Amino acid sequence: MEACNTSDVTLRAFGCEHNLLSRPDGSASFVQGDTSVYAAVYGPAEVKVSKEIYDRATLEVLIQPKVGLPSVRERSQEQCVRETCEASLLLSLHPRSSLTLVLQVLHDDGSLLSCFLNAACMALMDAGLPMSCLFCGVTCAISADGQIITDPTAAQEKESRALMTFAVDSRERKVLMSTTKGSFSVHELQQCIAVSQKASEKMFQFYRDSVKRRYSKNL
Amino acid sequence: MDSALRERVGQVLLPGDEFCCDTDGVISLSDTVRPEKVLCGPGLRRSGDRLLVCKSGVLRHKEPNVFWIDSQQWRYVPVKGETVIGVVAAKSGDVFKVDFGGSEQASLTYLSFEGATKRNRPNVQVGDLVFAQFIVANKDMEPELTCMDSSGRANGMGVFGGGGLLFRVSLGLVRRLLSPGSELRSDLEKLLPCELVVGMNGRVWTRAADVQKTLVLANLLQSCDTMSCSQRRQLFSRVRQGAL
Amino acid sequence: MKETPLSNCERDFLLKAIEEKKRLDGRQTYDYRKIKIKFGTDYGCCFVDLGLTRVMAQVSGELVAPKESRPNEGIMFFNIELSPMAAPTFEQGRQSELSVKLNRQLERCLRNSKCIDTESLCVVSGEKVWQIRVDVHMLNHDGNLMDAASIAAITALCHFRRPDVSIQGDEVTVYSPEERDPIPLSIYHMPISVSFSFFQQGTYLLVDPCEREERVMDGLLMIAMNKHREICSIQSSGGIMLLKEQVMRCSKIASVKVSEITELVVKALENDKKARKAGEKCGFAESLPQERITALKVGKTPVEVMDVTEQANDIVQKAESCSLTVHTRVPSPLVPVPGVGQVGQGQQTTWGLEEEEEEEEEEEEVDEEEESDNSSEQDKKVTKMEEEDSRGDVVEISDSEEEEVVILHPETADKALKNTGSSFHQKGAAPSKQKRKK
Repeated sequence: MEACNTSDVTLRAFGCEHNLLSRPDGSASFVQGDTSVYAAVYGPAEVKVSKEIYDRATLEVLIQPKVGLPSVRERSQEQCVRETCEASLLLSLHPRSSLTLVLQVLHDDGSLLSCFLNAACMALMDAGLPMSCLFCGVTCAISADGQIITDPTAAQEKESRALMTFAVDSRERKVLMSTTKGSFSVHELQQCIAVSQKASEKMFQFYRDSVKRRYSKNL
Repeated sequence: MDSALRERVGQVLLPGDEFCCDTDGVISLSDTVRPEKVLCGPGLRRSGDRLLVCKSGVLRHKEPNVFWIDSQQWRYVPVKGETVIGVVAAKSGDVFKVDFGGSEQASLTYLSFEGATKRNRPNVQVGDLVFAQFIVANKDMEPELTCMDSSGRANGMGVFGGGGLLFRVSLGLVRRLLSPGSELRSDLEKLLPCELVVGMNGRVWTRAADVQKTLVLANLLQSCDTMSCSQRRQLFSRVRQGAL
Repeated sequence: MKETPLSNCERDFLLKAIEEKKRLDGRQTYDYRKIKIKFGTDYGCCFVDLGLTRVMAQVSGELVAPKESRPNEGIMFFNIELSPMAAPTFEQGRQSELSVKLNRQLERCLRNSKCIDTESLCVVSGEKVWQIRVDVHMLNHDGNLMDAASIAAITALCHFRRPDVSIQGDEVTVYSPEERDPIPLSIYHMPISVSFSFFQQGTYLLVDPCEREERVMDGLLMIAMNKHREICSIQSSGGIMLLKEQVMRCSKIASVKVSEITELVVKALENDKKARKAGEKCGFAESLPQERITALKVGKTPVEVMDVTEQANDIVQKAESCSLTVHTRVPSPLVPVPGVGQVGQGQQTTWGLEEEEEEEEEEEEVDEEEESDNSSEQDKKVTKMEEEDSRGDVVEISDSEEEEVVILHPETADKALKNTGSSFHQKGAAPSKQKRKK
């Protein structure tokens, strides 16, 4: 069993801004390197009768691509994000209401899905929706020579042999969602998960710092 | 648990943070062990023997054992007993449908106004503002409002709003405005004489001597959302000196 | 989601304030809100803030066949997306009255005014032209979406660079930005829309209405104009009667506003060009307002990966020790060789014919497979019939075969075990297992 080389394990510069749009109940932007995403949350709000669920809130995730209309790719990303959010939100506290999460791509330079996840978590937190835990997204790429690259750029993604995105929860660092592309061994998968869990520590620390900064005037 | 909570009062907490029951492993036989009681407010939930934080914000404490998370939020979720500013959205039979910014419209019967009888209906039009209190606010039921207190008096509630301006601020600012002995409120009072109606749902109505003063007041309050105490005092003193 | 109803109190107050020449945010009647123009990382991406209204425009180009009626002209395509992000009442993918109105106005403002030289977008007459697509996304709606959209669209068009193309005989080569510098579009003039809202049957007029002002206005007049004071389009909506003098006055105000905004746009474009030339970082990531407490940014962060390998090894070993025991009982799921697709009930079909010819061995095996498949298909038909007979009302249309294989009847597992010798046989066995089971 060959051990993967894990030399290039860094996260690009990342940042976020809370509450930057006036209309939504919660909004955030998230930037990872050049990849940037806006997220906006409306809710708990009125729900359409056809979508009403009697014992929990209906969560709708919409992803807006930069050019053209949403396609199958966006739909599948929507599903990944929705399932992650559903796992962390306490939806049963707002039955018969709707939560809408809108994600807008501003620039795609790799690791888009993980950026979606991070922006979504920030926006949900900003909207003050009850959550059992936070989550963050980490994308890992395995290059042709078996190196693990976290938070790859678009160019690195293109050259990679396999691409994986994990959503990690903040309480037990468990994997909430995973999506993969390309071929890899079980060992590589486990290694990527372990790397993602390590990277998530940095993310969660960042979450804490940014929220602390935000509330610094209310202390 | 109580002490663990007390330790972190005033700190910023995030969803997923937990507090455990700290049983030290030693049970004193001589003292009668009184079970700890903690009253959880918004943002704190019990899960098993743990206390789970489910909103981000600052942990606050009120003697003797009340804890809650103070968060900045825009969307209102109704709570029984809270007073809100609603907009009458529709009249249907005996009830008015009132929009208060929550997930569904609340109902308000025409009989729940002071002095209203079946013959003597209150004069309420669609689009009017009402200041009302929740008598039913349950996640599984349609919220219900009333404009009377338990003794049948209006007690400040009812239709209002001629000549003033309605605007939206964050729920955190509303709580700061309404907290007893609020500095913000006393600062405002010193600055400008005005009428102020504050709903827990983040809607604020104000009326000052003229349109200009009302606008100044509204803009001041909206900007208070993102200011610290000292910044606010600076701004207020500048307004007192120059802008007016 | 429904819009929050506007209360009578707000309406009365707004109208009263307008009569007194006061506005909600302290502006004068003819004032614009603060305009901020930012650019994205790639060419042709522009953000415009108009007060709290925020809009993003992205220009993209691709080579398409031209319209038959105009073989020498490139195609301009405009699309305004009223994303639900901007306001809760906007719905995704639905053409609302507002979106049609805005799209139409933007087309009139930018396409019909012929501000872009479409003939220069022709590559091969009648065969290949550039289609320039402008997507405008509304991010936050606080009134006057049209003006923000028009500023964003024209600025993005000015900022856009299309790839260079060369023609040699019949061959068209598109160069990547690394090979040859991309080329800007040729733009004759910059039309900018200016909105006027009217109150009380046209008695009062405001420039750049905010959202609440838009909700109480009686009528709207949009004038698109360039800095040469040429009117590119003019539209009045809301059904108010305007006098000739009012329209003239509005066009005069518009000319002043347009020259101010054009100056701003040109300056923003210049600044961006300078920054790009100097090799500075540009784009959204750089425009994060660091001084605000709501924003935070951290630099490149290394991740500690000291014990990752061991951790992964542990997990894999543990998993393997578990899976060993599992293997003895459950047949491994089938993995088709590359080039073999699976459709429906586990039938194998080869997509590519070439592969059969490549290797004789494989061909033979495939033949075998097909035989067994055919036979099993027949079997299955029979079994399906039986099934229908025996369990009349249960009709299975499931296409996930694995689930069925695993359940019940130990004999199937036994049968499968015997077949594990060769992977190809195993595949053949899958349908036959089904037969057994049923």
